[in-house]
Amino acid sequence: MSDFDLELDARGLNCPLPILRARQGIQKLNPGQVLHVIATDPGSVKDFEAFCKQTGNELLAATQESGEYKFDIRKGQ
Amino acid sequence: MSKRLKASERKATILAVAKVLFSDKGYHGVSVDEIARRLGVSPAILYRHFPSKEALYEEVLNSIACKRESYVEAVVNSDDSFSDVLRRITRIYIESVSKDPDYLRMELQSALEGSDATRQFFENRWRPFSDFIEFSLKELAAQKSLAPVNGRVAAMAFQGMIREALYAKCIYRSPRYRELDLYELSEHLITLFLNAVGYVEPEK
Repeated sequence: MSDFDLELDARGLNCPLPILRARQGIQKLNPGQVLHVIATDPGSVKDFEAFCKQTGNELLAATQESGEYKFDIRKGQ
Repeated sequence: MSKRLKASERKATILAVAKVLFSDKGYHGVSVDEIARRLGVSPAILYRHFPSKEALYEEVLNSIACKRESYVEAVVNSDDSFSDVLRRITRIYIESVSKDPDYLRMELQSALEGSDATRQFFENRWRPFSDFIEFSLKELAAQKSLAPVNGRVAAMAFQGMIREALYAKCIYRSPRYRELDLYELSEHLITLFLNAVGYVEPEK
C-alpha cells in the first residue's frame, strides 16, 4: 500500500502549472490525506515550499532523484 | 578609499551599479573591471560576492523581476480558471517590471546583442506564460471547451502583446496610449487575447 492517497504527475510542466494541478488535487482530498507530486521543474522545490506555507498544507517530504522532484503534501484542516 | 560596508550592503550596491551599466550597455558592453571601477573597489571584491559576470547579471534580473512565490500566490488566490490565473500572473509580472524599466532596457539590449545566454535568461522569464498558455489551450481543446488552436503561436502572440504594452508605457511613454494606464491596457489586451482564442470566461 502506498503512503499517499493521490498521485499527481507534473513531469514536464513548469511554473505555475504544477502548483495549479496540486491545488486541484488537494481539493479532492480530505484533511489529513496526502498528495504525492512528481515534478521535473527545479523551481518546484521553492514553489511547493511557498505553496504549503500559503495554504496551510504540510510539506511532509521533498526529495530529489535523477532529475525528478517528489513531494508529499498532507492536506491541512 | 571606499568606506567598509557590510556584506549585504556591498552586495546591494554592486547590484544597483551593475543594473545601471547592464541596462545602458548590455551584457557584453560591460566588463567586471568597469563595474568594479565604478564602485571604487577591486574586481576581487566583486568576485567575492558573485562568482562570474553571468551570475551577477542573473542576480540583477532576479532582483527586478517578480519572485516565483508571487506566482504561487497568484494561483492560490485564483478561481483555478485559465483566464483568472493568466490575469493574475500577468498583473504580477507587469507590476514588478514596470517598477523598474531598467529590466526592459536590459531585455532590449539582450535582443540587440544576439547572445544565446542572455536571451535564455529572458526566455525563462516568459516561460510561466508561454508554457501555461500552450499547455492550457491544448488541455481545454482536449476537453472540447475550446476549438483547437496552435497554443505555441497563441503564447507568442500573448508575449508580444504584453511586452509591447510594457515598452509603450514604460520605455517609449507613447502619448497614443496616454488615456489608459498600464493595468487597463493589459486587461484590454488579455480580453482581446481570450476572445481571439475563443475562450469564454467563467461568470464571476
